[in-house]
Amino acid sequence: MASAVSLENIRKTYKSHMLRIKRTAIENLSLDVRENEIFGLLGPNGAGKTTTLKIILGLVAPNSGTGHVLGKPLGSKSARSRIGFLPEQPYFYGFMTAEKALMFYGHLAGLDANTIRKRSEELLNLVGLPQGSHLTLEKYSKGMLQRFGIAQALLNDPDLIIMDEPSSGLDPVGQKEIRDIIISLKDLGKTVFLSSHQLSEVESVCDSVSIINRGTTVRQGYLDDLLEVKGVSLITFAGANERAAEALVPPAKRVREENGRISVEVDSEKIYEIISMGRDLGFELQSVTPFRKSLEDLFIEIVRGEKI
Amino acid sequence: MRNVIFLAINVIRDSFRKKIFYVVFIFGLAMLALSPLLPSFELGLQAQFLRDVSISLTSLFGAVLAVIVAVGQLPVEIEKKTIYNILSKPVSRLQYFAGKFLGVVSTLAIILLVMGIEIIILIYLRLKVFSPIVFEGVLMVFLESCIIASFCYLMTTFASIPVGVLAAIFFYVLCHVKTGYLHGKLIEGVSGAWRVLTWSLYYIIPNLENYNISQQVGYGHGVPGGYTVRVLLYALLFVGLFIFIGYAVFRRKDL
Repeated sequence: MASAVSLENIRKTYKSHMLRIKRTAIENLSLDVRENEIFGLLGPNGAGKTTTLKIILGLVAPNSGTGHVLGKPLGSKSARSRIGFLPEQPYFYGFMTAEKALMFYGHLAGLDANTIRKRSEELLNLVGLPQGSHLTLEKYSKGMLQRFGIAQALLNDPDLIIMDEPSSGLDPVGQKEIRDIIISLKDLGKTVFLSSHQLSEVESVCDSVSIINRGTTVRQGYLDDLLEVKGVSLITFAGANERAAEALVPPAKRVREENGRISVEVDSEKIYEIISMGRDLGFELQSVTPFRKSLEDLFIEIVRGEKI
Repeated sequence: MRNVIFLAINVIRDSFRKKIFYVVFIFGLAMLALSPLLPSFELGLQAQFLRDVSISLTSLFGAVLAVIVAVGQLPVEIEKKTIYNILSKPVSRLQYFAGKFLGVVSTLAIILLVMGIEIIILIYLRLKVFSPIVFEGVLMVFLESCIIASFCYLMTTFASIPVGVLAAIFFYVLCHVKTGYLHGKLIEGVSGAWRVLTWSLYYIIPNLENYNISQQVGYGHGVPGGYTVRVLLYALLFVGLFIFIGYAVFRRKDL
């Protein structure tokens, strides 16, 4: 599959105005986002996520390194005609209604008035905003603005959609709706590049992720590969409590009680031994699956530089 | 060009909804409206006086509005991040920069046209004298405002709004007093490096006094066509220069 976004050894420094001191925002950053995947860019505050997005969009020029977006060089106008962008906490011209703002952005995206009207109707419906409303954007709530931002990002039917914190300001129902939209975009053959602090959101929708810290890529790959712990399995028992299950350690690595079930982490070669021990203790076997750590565990492990 | 026009129209719409813009605009119109209350002279002198004062006031308000409209573009768009939704679309930085400035200039043109029409109506209502010559003065005010706006626009490519405003005030004053002061210095016969510096400043700094034709408009005879063409080209030269430098800065600016 071809790359939708590729960055190689990108470096970006900013100069402070007064003292001309250089601050490195990104150092030797490389990324590869395949077409038709949902990609998540993760990192703690100040890691360089927003700068990375700006470089992809041509809003900021890197000091060194190369990159391509949809087969075109960084900052290319023709690539931008195939990109939709939702900034973090999007701001729009407050004096416009949703339809007028979509007309304005649609014209800038090179669409004709009839196409914009048709797309506006579809998209306002998709994101759950009222049509024909006289309410101007300055009177919109944060959640409504976020929904409008998604509509304007999808206006030109882009091949690549870049979203910075897409669920910001939305209630749980709204967050679920946005996740569904993101997944439906993939089904339509689009590539989605999202930067988010909501690790559960990323884990539930992304195919691959890149975790950056202090401006450098520290881990990148398919989520399944990154989260699966090779050689470790997870056995789930019912009818047990944590204290009784402690008897399984060792040979089990760790025992945890969740929702009345006992989850046991175990080296894969010891599965049968643990199942047998569990039955002897009167536990009821429920499942045996490859052990997968949560994205939150992986993220914290990487950011803190600690092994969990 | 399509994108430039859409962006310019947006600037016009946005400008006409700003409260500070209306405060200044209405204050300017009120001053013009009150100018008939000034001391009475015989009819001819009254018309002359009204035209002269009205153009002088328009010039002042034109300069203030030029600063307000021009400084309210780039820094505000960058601070509010509205620029991201535009430049992430297939809009080049040149189109954006040109569109915004075209919007600034168009806004000034609309305001000054309205002020010019109002001056003519006021003079007619007060003195029953039709004074289309006022438009000649308004055109000069417009050209002057364009130079000031382009300077402010340039400043805000790298400076904040307060710095841009202060620089614009300094620029306005300097451009009005420079002829007398620097010319005086050159006549005085400064020598060496000071002479080169004085001479350079004399020619580099635009002479906004070129656009002060309130007296000629007051007298009712205006200025010759050749003069209008010369000062029009002079304005284009400086506006072009400021916009060119501004774009050179903006093109490389990290947003």
